[in-house]
Amino acid sequence: MRVNYFLLFFLLPLFAISQGSIGSFSPDETVFYAQTKQMNQFFLRFNGEEDIQGNRLYPGDPGFRDLKARKGYVKMLFDQSNTSISDDTKFVFIEQALNKKNPIFLDFHGGSWFAEVSTTFLYKKEKVTIILYLELEKQNGGYKWMFSNVYFDRFESWFTHVNDTANLKFFIHPMSHELDFMNLHKVFRDPSTLDYYLKKDYNPDMMALFVMEMKNNNLSFVSVDNVKFHIFQVPGWYFEVSYFNRNEMNSGWLISNILRVTEQEKKELLQHYSRSN
Amino acid sequence: MRKLLFLIIAVTFSTVTFRASAQDNLSPQRKQAIDSLALEKVRDLSKYISIIGDKETQWSDAQRVIERAVELFMESSEIGVSSLNRQDVNYYKVREYFDRLMQLNYSKVAIDWYKIQYVSDLERQPDGTYVGVITVYQRFQGYDKEKGLVYEDTTKKDITVYVKRKETQIGGRTIGFWDVMLGDIRVKETSK
Repeated sequence: MRVNYFLLFFLLPLFAISQGSIGSFSPDETVFYAQTKQMNQFFLRFNGEEDIQGNRLYPGDPGFRDLKARKGYVKMLFDQSNTSISDDTKFVFIEQALNKKNPIFLDFHGGSWFAEVSTTFLYKKEKVTIILYLELEKQNGGYKWMFSNVYFDRFESWFTHVNDTANLKFFIHPMSHELDFMNLHKVFRDPSTLDYYLKKDYNPDMMALFVMEMKNNNLSFVSVDNVKFHIFQVPGWYFEVSYFNRNEMNSGWLISNILRVTEQEKKELLQHYSRSN
Repeated sequence: MRKLLFLIIAVTFSTVTFRASAQDNLSPQRKQAIDSLALEKVRDLSKYISIIGDKETQWSDAQRVIERAVELFMESSEIGVSSLNRQDVNYYKVREYFDRLMQLNYSKVAIDWYKIQYVSDLERQPDGTYVGVITVYQRFQGYDKEKGLVYEDTTKKDITVYVKRKETQIGGRTIGFWDVMLGDIRVKETSK
């Protein structure tokens, strides 16, 4: 029998246990029950480690990681309003990730997932947007989020001429060494052209620039504007999870983008989120 | 106080096995016991918020309740508030948030808490403290004497909960217990 999970979510409040609940206000709470309220819940629903009432399931509990239930849950974890994710893609993803022989489970401590935090900073008194990437790191038996990379368009703009093959004007001629590089003062006269003189494979460390600008008090934090997550734990796939604040059962933390990727493509994508990868 | 002592003892006696095994992993039973302690704090907080926001509450009573409410939190905890029409987040110190709640310019305020709640897993921090998040939903209604209901919203409150293993001396015996404190709260208006 094919379980209609929309119906199941609709019936959730009927199953819900009020014991231990903080309130007594009883309007229609269907949306809140169905909503994926935390990333923690996203992980549990994906793994089939939560029952229909929202109770945590542990190894040995009936229904723990039940494959059939998981298929329904994972389907519900896609943003249904996103037409760019085809039903075929969802089907193939679910079939591969929830393969009977080798089902994949998301692991909070398993690495290969990143938080992307869009923030507002003041840069030299001007409001700017900076994207921070964070990754969980283990220490002393516990975990902490650490900055793994940063994106700030201003920093990027300083390096737009690296490996500019059309440049025939800004270079240090090959016999400069015989003159004790006396021509360097011409190079540094105009700092805006400095990136023409960097090696073609130079890869700037944006995090170093970010730390430097913070420590020099040129950057000051204002607020967090948006958060999303990038998950690479399913072999052959990358997906993004965003928060959908809407009055629908398909709301909360949901898959907002998904791509089939080769291991090489995954490696390249990972470099975007963590410089050390 | 008697209630607190009871909770300490109840949790202590049910922790013997856990203490004997490992403190790094919380057993499901232990987590459930801690969850109910944490929910107790959140329940207290919800009661305090309702009292502080109630226009019938005398100023001096509200001040006393604010003191109690602040005691639930770790030092330097903040409340980050955003609304549907504003992307940026306003951060308030806990006391400042309660003061603002008390001073809201409505003739009557109704604060209701939904039954639903979601308690996350507890994760261990590098310092050994466990941290979790409890999500609750609240409906707020502000009334004007003449115009009636003038403002209404439903907010999702994600409340940080810190759980730390502590020890105390009772009758010459060292008794371990779990201390639960609230931390930062993220308040998000839900879509209408």
